[in-house]
Amino acid sequence: MKTHAKLPSTAKSSRWHGLHLEPIWWSLFSAGGVCFAVFVPAVVLVFAILAPLGFITLDYSQIVSWYADIWGLLFTGAVICLPAFHAAHRIRHGLHDLQIGGGLLSVVICYGAAALLSVAALYGWWQLSG
Amino acid sequence: MRNCSIAVQRYLPHEHAEPFWQHFTVPFDESTSILDALNYIKEELDPSLSFRWSCRMAICGSCGVMVNGIPKLGCKDFLRNYLPRNYLASESTAAVSAAEIRIQPLAHFTVERDLIVDMNEFLVHLEAVKPYLITDAGADETPLEKHAQTLAQTNKQTPAQLAKYKQFANCINCGLCYSACPQFGLNPEFVGPAAIALAQRYNLDSRDQGKAARMPVLNGHNGVWSCTFVGFCSDVCPKHVDPAAAVNQGKVESAKSMLIQMFTGRG
Amino acid sequence: MSYKPELTGSWWLKHRFFMLYMLREATVLPLVFLLCSLLAGIYSLASPEQFASWQAFMARPWVLALHGLALVAALYHAFTFFQLFPRVMPIRIGARLLPPALMVAVQWAAVLAVIVLFLWLFGNSQGAI
Ligand code: SF4
Ligand code: FES
Repeated sequence: MKTHAKLPSTAKSSRWHGLHLEPIWWSLFSAGGVCFAVFVPAVVLVFAILAPLGFITLDYSQIVSWYADIWGLLFTGAVICLPAFHAAHRIRHGLHDLQIGGGLLSVVICYGAAALLSVAALYGWWQLSG
Repeated sequence: MRNCSIAVQRYLPHEHAEPFWQHFTVPFDESTSILDALNYIKEELDPSLSFRWSCRMAICGSCGVMVNGIPKLGCKDFLRNYLPRNYLASESTAAVSAAEIRIQPLAHFTVERDLIVDMNEFLVHLEAVKPYLITDAGADETPLEKHAQTLAQTNKQTPAQLAKYKQFANCINCGLCYSACPQFGLNPEFVGPAAIALAQRYNLDSRDQGKAARMPVLNGHNGVWSCTFVGFCSDVCPKHVDPAAAVNQGKVESAKSMLIQMFTGRG
Repeated sequence: MSYKPELTGSWWLKHRFFMLYMLREATVLPLVFLLCSLLAGIYSLASPEQFASWQAFMARPWVLALHGLALVAALYHAFTFFQLFPRVMPIRIGARLLPPALMVAVQWAAVLAVIVLFLWLFGNSQGAI
């Protein structure tokens, strides 16, 4: 029996066949995971623990001038946007694990919320820098 | 010889509609394996007990069972692992009933009788990833001609090329990783740890050219993307294959493969 | 005739390994709270008054407690994530594998470096540290 190696198929249909967005979610999840592990501990420690407890005094004008610069954009991307997609990915799969979701609705809600949070944070930076 | 209590989950569909527990007392020493205990039960206590085994040396992969809820090879796991360290040496017999060992069929599979599960549910996934060398040479020839061609080539490989996939080649198809994987338990369509590890094994082999044929299976929602890196599969693997690592390396490969397909129209 | 035990939503309570897995997945919950706090912080930069009230919010005991939890969560996440990295992206030099322990150590060094950098950037304004 001969095997039919070359089935008639147009380049267009095979180009998009079987593609989905998982690689994008997973890349954002992984990048966010690195940021969550490497940058978030320092951020929590300084802004959410040492400063509120009075060990560090944050200088408003200093922070605004730094944040309005490119550093603010980097901070927003690495500490808010990417970790948000990391969290969204884990929550979506967690819902599947607990058998209370994980389907299309969870996908839309989880990544949608992460996208909203990201856009809000980026808009905040843009306003200050502009 | 001391005695040990063992409970086995039985299922005899022609006598009872439901699975039930049966309790046995089995003599054992330092070298008694779970498989030895099952064989003792079958020979001395209840010949109706069914379970699979063959090699008794952790190579055929047929003796997988759940021991206290964890997937194990019966022949590679010992009763002494489940009893207090000094139990064999001490004079007391009080610990016997306290430490009952529970043996069940492999989780996440359909049980046909006693400890016999339907391994086909794993084997269909294994088959789907084409776990054998595929060469471009002679694409239009019959499988037999192709095989002869493959044999005719010398297939040289350097130690560095071998090192790339060697770990993933140690799989004995025991299926323990499928019993350890909650994602397979939740979704039986998930291709699963061992099959994806085997796909990686051939994709990484310098003599193989079959990657394009394997990637569509890995690229799908039920391929690598169903995995959440629970990682228990790698913990229970008796051959240290680390299938979880293979699956997650597969995610990187799958992302690349889909990108290439998008730009070139080919997988 | 056959039977197949179905998994229920509580499968992960059955043993330690799965509970630790769920704990790892749950590290994102305090993270989400932190992200919301930080977002509020960005908008509070609009004026010194708003920034002061954001700081007052951050000093509330329950907020501090949740952020303390977020720190523990971030470190536990880091602990698990760093071990996965050498397995997902093994680095080979010839036939030899770069030792995973070395890759884990390098990642922890990065965490430490970022903490030192942040303390240096923000901590010296009052010299309390
Ligand atoms: S990867 Fe390990 S646990 Fe899974 S089937 Fe192969 S040998 Fe068994
Ligand atoms: S009997 Fe062969 S692996 Fe256990």
